[in-house]
Amino acid sequence: MELADRAVGFLLTFTSLSIFTYYTFWVIILPFVDSDNFIHNYFLPQEYAILIPVCAGVVLLSLLCIFIGFVLLKSKKKTA
Amino acid sequence: MKHVLKLLSLLVVISALWIGLLQASIIPQSHTWLLPIYFVVSLGCYGLLMVGVGLMRFPTCPQEALLLQQDIAEAKDFLKQKGVDVGSD
Repeated sequence: MELADRAVGFLLTFTSLSIFTYYTFWVIILPFVDSDNFIHNYFLPQEYAILIPVCAGVVLLSLLCIFIGFVLLKSKKKTA
Repeated sequence: MKHVLKLLSLLVVISALWIGLLQASIIPQSHTWLLPIYFVVSLGCYGLLMVGVGLMRFPTCPQEALLLQQDIAEAKDFLKQKGVDVGSD
């Protein structure tokens, strides 16, 4: 049904746009703001801006490798 | 092989640009260190955005779907007349 497709598409665009704006704010704009501004309460400390993408990337890569290994093992078991 | 070489050369150019930016200190140094991660995250975001936009604008063509169903029914009738087993209905 196209309504479900549209809803999923809208959710995806919304998620991606929000992640992009939050991350841009975090990395580029926040270092120029004074450190006692109220806006700093809404953002995690700056170290997490590096930690979270790196952790997510590592998790993604390991999941990919696990999946590939799984598929390879399954195909080997079938031919053997 | 040529596509891999193209990608590798692109990577080399981008890393050379980044190291050049680091040395020249046009932007504050703390910003320059974060630039690669920022670009990777924004690239992932852009991919997700394109997928979402494509999903939203996907055309379903209801008239073509109806015509296709009619074609399928017609083909099934024809084959059944000729004696071919068309499976479950």
